[in-house]
Amino acid sequence: MDSNGTAFPVQLYIYDLSRGMARQLSPIMLGKQLDGIWHTSIVVYGDEFFFGGVGISSCPPGGTMLGPPDTVVELGNTEVTEEIFMDYLSSLGETTYRGERYRLFEHNCNTFTNEVAQFLTGMKIPSYITDLPSEVLSTPFGQVLRPILDSIHIAPPGGNVINSQNNHS
Amino acid sequence: MAENSGADPAVEGKSEENAATGGTIIMVTVKTPKDKEEIAISEDASVSQFKEEISKRFKAKQDQLVLIFAGKILKDGDTLGQHGIKDGLTVHLVIKTAQKATGGSSTAASSSSGTSQPNSSNAGTANPGSAANLGTSQGSGPSPAPSQPANLFTGFGDLSSLANLGMGSSNFMELQQQMQRQLMSNPEMLSQIMENPLVQNMMSNPDLMRQMIMANPQMQQLMERNPEISHMLNNPELMRQTMELARNPAMMQEMMRNQDRALSNLESIPGGYNALRRMYTDIQEPMFSAAREQFGNNPFSALGGNADSSGAQPSRTENREPLPNPWGPPDASSTGTGTTTTSTTTSTTPSVSNPLGIGSSSLGNGVFNSPGMQSLMQQISENPQLMQNMLSAPYMRSMMQSLAQNPEVASQVLMNNPLFAGNPQLQEQMRHQLPVFLQQMQNPEALSVMTNPRAMQALMQIQQGLQTLQTEAPGLMPSLIPGGVPPGVPPGVPAGVPAGVPVGIPTGVTVTPENPPPPSSGLGSTPAAGTNPTQQQLMQQMLQMFAGGNASTQTPEVRFQQQLEQLSAMGFINREANLQALIATGGDINAAIERLLGSQPS
Repeated sequence: MDSNGTAFPVQLYIYDLSRGMARQLSPIMLGKQLDGIWHTSIVVYGDEFFFGGVGISSCPPGGTMLGPPDTVVELGNTEVTEEIFMDYLSSLGETTYRGERYRLFEHNCNTFTNEVAQFLTGMKIPSYITDLPSEVLSTPFGQVLRPILDSIHIAPPGGNVINSQNNHS
Repeated sequence: MAENSGADPAVEGKSEENAATGGTIIMVTVKTPKDKEEIAISEDASVSQFKEEISKRFKAKQDQLVLIFAGKILKDGDTLGQHGIKDGLTVHLVIKTAQKATGGSSTAASSSSGTSQPNSSNAGTANPGSAANLGTSQGSGPSPAPSQPANLFTGFGDLSSLANLGMGSSNFMELQQQMQRQLMSNPEMLSQIMENPLVQNMMSNPDLMRQMIMANPQMQQLMERNPEISHMLNNPELMRQTMELARNPAMMQEMMRNQDRALSNLESIPGGYNALRRMYTDIQEPMFSAAREQFGNNPFSALGGNADSSGAQPSRTENREPLPNPWGPPDASSTGTGTTTTSTTTSTTPSVSNPLGIGSSSLGNGVFNSPGMQSLMQQISENPQLMQNMLSAPYMRSMMQSLAQNPEVASQVLMNNPLFAGNPQLQEQMRHQLPVFLQQMQNPEALSVMTNPRAMQALMQIQQGLQTLQTEAPGLMPSLIPGGVPPGVPPGVPAGVPAGVPVGIPTGVTVTPENPPPPSSGLGSTPAAGTNPTQQQLMQQMLQMFAGGNASTQTPEVRFQQQLEQLSAMGFINREANLQALIATGGDINAAIERLLGSQPS
């Protein structure tokens, strides 16, 4: 099972969108401790890829407005070449990861990252990230805010949209 | 040959080939970006066989297929087993668009050199540009970038305005401070925030707000020290009201203004200033800072403040009845109880802290002539708006209501009032009168009288006239309409009203043991009749004066001439105060002295 081709390292960048606020406010507002509102992206081939309200975007690693990531997780290596990966992303961007498909709770950046991570390496991203929406929704506060939050699209600026057809930006 | 254990229709087609390879058939999920299919294949199959299956299913050429599993590209020569592909696992498929992709990437590469991909650390293959620009406008990499920054906020939808406040901060504290700064400097922002549906939604949920407030450690401290606050917070009605207020900036402004007015009014109530000060230092200040931290404004200050201040007042007036008329018409109310009490007050002359000075003592008594009272009356007449504002403030009513419903609280407040400290009798009286008094306070008629500055002025004039009359022509009184006057209506009196105002009944009143019953019972129990407050008050007044007059045909001054002289010899130069004290004590010099001394606010 040795790689016949080059192996490309794949990393997971994790950002806390709340900049520490969630850690402080979540016990108050939600009644449970959430250490952060996680936004993730995949870094491979020297680029960072993420899904947002505008679709799949990419940028230099750490190049979004969020700045450097709070945590970096090594997902392993992939044999998938960039070319193939781009094809893959294009397809994703036309289908399940179009900009308008973004849903803060069910189909967000972490959903995308999870899928891509599995594609590239077979590994999933840490569960505390993917469990976040359900954690929030299971609190009364989350339920109250749900209608509002559903309308939020998080799209950290600083990236370019990958999309074979329309250009959302 | 049904060797397929899976036995699904899809498999049957391939059964021949599968059978050829032998081995168990496993179901492998093949996932493309667009969709996902389950393919049954023998676990010994090779990748190329697998691809064959896939190409049939996905209608693509085999060379277009790129299979990826666990980060590895499955080469045709491999077998599924080599890669550990087992039943139920997912294999990723990318259908290459062959030339297009490569073409695209190369062109992208060439044109995108200048794009926002300065990072050249790509792992060797296509340059980074391609990644960014794949599919999108080639070479226009940078152009989407400038518009991107806007995306963060527009994407946030309603949160955009909130996000603008502090997304750039590096930490929470900074964010908070920034927010506060911005709020302070830009009042518009507050209203903007309030209008934000997210905020409004939050605010309309009182439980939520209460939780948030209670979680602030400063608030918690505050609540420990002042249980009233927690009581207030726990009252959902109150919270909702506050939320409404907070949501409606105009309303809040109005309320704040009212509160300010009310507070300045309260100053002029006997002991009111002290109460105010206490209230402020104990409750309001910490609340302010605590709340401001959280919200940038303090919607609760009004509530917190009122809780205390208004509480203190009503009880005092109880006796007087028409609380609302402290300055005003010598409303008999006050004396209603016929308690002896007060009158002393003493010299506490109008000091800012106790303008009424006497007020307190006069409570039960008709010492309306005291200098303090006069000044208060003056104040009121000068500024009729004060009463109006105070009374019209919504919270006043709710305070009154809550007080009425909770006589223990009212009596407690009453008892704690330092003015009463030295006079257990008065306290008793007040306690009894409390429920009635509270009821009266709610009488809208009474309230309206109080709010009507002109009416109050008229009452005041009446009082003055009566006073004059009394001194000038004591014998005239008896001819006036005697009792029977339904203890009119003590204009309920919103607590705010200088309770101290023993409205009316100049001197004479009370005390005289001979006539306490009629006046007291009459006045004290005045039900909230209030059909014609003015008239009734007048009647009361007369009644009391009558009663006072009956005590002896002399005015108290005359009666107590000797005592007065004694008192002044002792150094109590305030003749009026002395007189009051004497009246209250029925001529007992020692008691009068005590009274004079005791009611000095220390």
